[in-house]
Amino acid sequence: MSLLFLLIIGIIFFVLLIFILSPEYGLISIIRRMKKEQTRELIEDALKHLYDCEYNRVDCSLSSISGNLSLSKNKTAEVIIKLEAMNLISSGENKISLTSEGRSYALRIVRIHRLLERYLADHTSIQETEWHNIAEAKEHETSEEEARKLAAQLGNPLLDPHGDPIPSESGEIPSRKGIQLNKLENGKFASIIHIEDEPKEVYSQFSALGLYPGMQIYLVENSKEKIRFEADGEECILAPILASNITVVPILEKEQVKESFKKLSSLKQDESAIVVGISKAMRGQQRRRLLDFGVVPGTIVRAQLKSLSGDPTAYDIRGAMIALRKNQSDLIYIKRI
Amino acid sequence: MNKTEEILSTANKLRWEVGENIHDSILESIYKEASNIAGQVVTRTGEKPKFDLDRFIDRLVTGKWTGFPIMLILLAVVFWITIVGANIPSGWISFLLVDSIHPWLKQLLVSLQIPWWINGIVVDGAYLAVAWVVSVMLPPMAIFFPMFTLLEDFGYLPRVAFNMDNLYRRVGAHGKQALTMSMGFGCNAAGVIATRIIDSPREKIIAIITNNFSLCNGRWPTQILIATIFIGGAVPPYLAGVVSAAAVVAIAVLGVVFSLVVSWGLSKTVLKGEPSAFSLELPPYRPPRLLQTLYTSLIDRTIFVLWRAVVFAVPAGVVIWLVANIRIGNLSFAEHFIHWVDPAALFIGLNGVIFLAYIIAIPANEIVIPTILMLTALTTRIAASAGAGVMFELDSAADTAAMLEAGGWTVLTGINLMLFSLLHNPCSTTIYTIYKETKSIKWTMISTFLPIAMGLIICFLITQIWRVIA
Repeated sequence: MSLLFLLIIGIIFFVLLIFILSPEYGLISIIRRMKKEQTRELIEDALKHLYDCEYNRVDCSLSSISGNLSLSKNKTAEVIIKLEAMNLISSGENKISLTSEGRSYALRIVRIHRLLERYLADHTSIQETEWHNIAEAKEHETSEEEARKLAAQLGNPLLDPHGDPIPSESGEIPSRKGIQLNKLENGKFASIIHIEDEPKEVYSQFSALGLYPGMQIYLVENSKEKIRFEADGEECILAPILASNITVVPILEKEQVKESFKKLSSLKQDESAIVVGISKAMRGQQRRRLLDFGVVPGTIVRAQLKSLSGDPTAYDIRGAMIALRKNQSDLIYIKRI
Repeated sequence: MNKTEEILSTANKLRWEVGENIHDSILESIYKEASNIAGQVVTRTGEKPKFDLDRFIDRLVTGKWTGFPIMLILLAVVFWITIVGANIPSGWISFLLVDSIHPWLKQLLVSLQIPWWINGIVVDGAYLAVAWVVSVMLPPMAIFFPMFTLLEDFGYLPRVAFNMDNLYRRVGAHGKQALTMSMGFGCNAAGVIATRIIDSPREKIIAIITNNFSLCNGRWPTQILIATIFIGGAVPPYLAGVVSAAAVVAIAVLGVVFSLVVSWGLSKTVLKGEPSAFSLELPPYRPPRLLQTLYTSLIDRTIFVLWRAVVFAVPAGVVIWLVANIRIGNLSFAEHFIHWVDPAALFIGLNGVIFLAYIIAIPANEIVIPTILMLTALTTRIAASAGAGVMFELDSAADTAAMLEAGGWTVLTGINLMLFSLLHNPCSTTIYTIYKETKSIKWTMISTFLPIAMGLIICFLITQIWRVIA
């Protein structure tokens, strides 16, 4: 009897927990969403969207803002009126554009957002797909002073982990370079400079493929149905509409990498190779640790010993035996000797 | 002033041009330059020998078929030597400190006409707790730690981490946790200190929080005693030895399983965002330096841990004596508390005596059994040889069994005590060490209360199932 009673209490407790914590319909997220409707966040998000449009040289309208903020048209109109009253934007017939005050406000938020993403990528082990959302929430709470401290702590980084430039404190930012991946011609080499992190579903697809800014790709086939390319020696296929979210710069003829590199993990026992590079996906502390061991381009490594379960493998690196897990040695590129 | 700003703004502009890879390029050129210089000035003589002993040992200890047996045999030998070897000096120290000096001190204070309650607090409380902790804790640690340090010195332990890493990677931890866990079998406080070898922040915290799931030296005697009495007593006599030994090993293995499961849970929840970086260096094998090892492991580990335990044992001894001897009305403070928590404790399959014993014996797991016996004697009004409200141990398991059964213990209580002894808060020495290592109240709290919560829930579940079946 008492067992049944306890079971019921347990289930009720569990249901209650779900009711409070569930990510989409839970009480906490509902309250959070209500909070989001507060004006300051809305204003900042709208400014950021306007800035994005300007940076990408697309026109921006009321409907695109309401779509981006997932807000009703009426509410959006209210926000726009408020923004105009604050002299942050000026609206023409069909076009809304930033004033110079609006632009510098937007750049401040963009700077904080990208610094936060850089921080999350380098100093935590939070999943790649969550960076954007966390930064999106925290950017409104971070003061300029905190941003300055964060930038100093990170060593004044230039790019966020998606390859976007981080505006300097005075709001300087280089103009956009590169072309969209779906506009690259067949048989060309290019290097990824930017991966759009919105919408989330699309970005998680890219991160599952292991694409990162700085990666070199070789376009095999570009047709209306699909875009086929080699990235670090592995073949990837994307729909053109997805590929438009990736920006690349073609690599000049003389810098071109003719052969595709092998990964360190492909080295068999007692084989040696020369390190040619470390993937950008190896970040933060982990990357520094590797550099400290002397894993830099030009270093000769030899696979020395496999653990009894097959992973990790110990490598002879500059006279020391260093064990690396497979997910690490996958990110180190080598050339056979 | 103007000039500074000019330079700064030029520098800022140039930063965009040099790009992101500047740090990597600088390091690369440093290494290149260093190896250039080394190539010019360092002369290397001789070829590598044909037979490389290091490589031979490495092949053996990380081999598919040889690796695991070697590891298990070495661990078993270390434990066997510790358990068997510690009994003898433990007996000597106990004879000296508990059986000889304790009555003599008591007599001395009586002859000096010191009031009985000061005598009780100082001799029966503080002194006896310290004596107990020293006699039970010192010998196993003085044997276990040097042996462990020898293996470490020789270079074998990093290979164990190397072999075990695959398993630990899957639960989000570091292979070296296998080592800190083994160290925890000796002493959890020493195990927590040993987590310094893990340099990745997230994995280090995981190793610290889960170290308590290794059954430490202070808990082995409790497990063996209770298993002998209750598990061994429940089966035919010719099986008793084997079954109770199996029960103790099962508890230890269960602890390892819990440490893996909890590691996995932590890395998926509270520790999800902590930074993490894996690296493991396999040093060349070296002949161990015996004397130096003995010295450093005695000073760094044994004496260090023992000192902290003694510091905590003094106030605990005082508290233990006081709760058993301060009377409110007709009953001592301890009895009031035991009666008060008994319903709740019995509900989850333990009893009030166990609860109180685990609360007041927090400085060292070694004094849990003496405290339980003292409290049982107190509540059942059985006259104890040492006098009322004084910790004691009985010479034979049969006497202990009779005493505990008089206190209302059943097989279920025995099983639950074994589980609770595995899953309860770390001792105060360990808690303090955790705080020292993490400098965080949050992680200290989690490491303290997570195992208690798990212990209570599991005892409760076992009891409910038991009551349904039996």
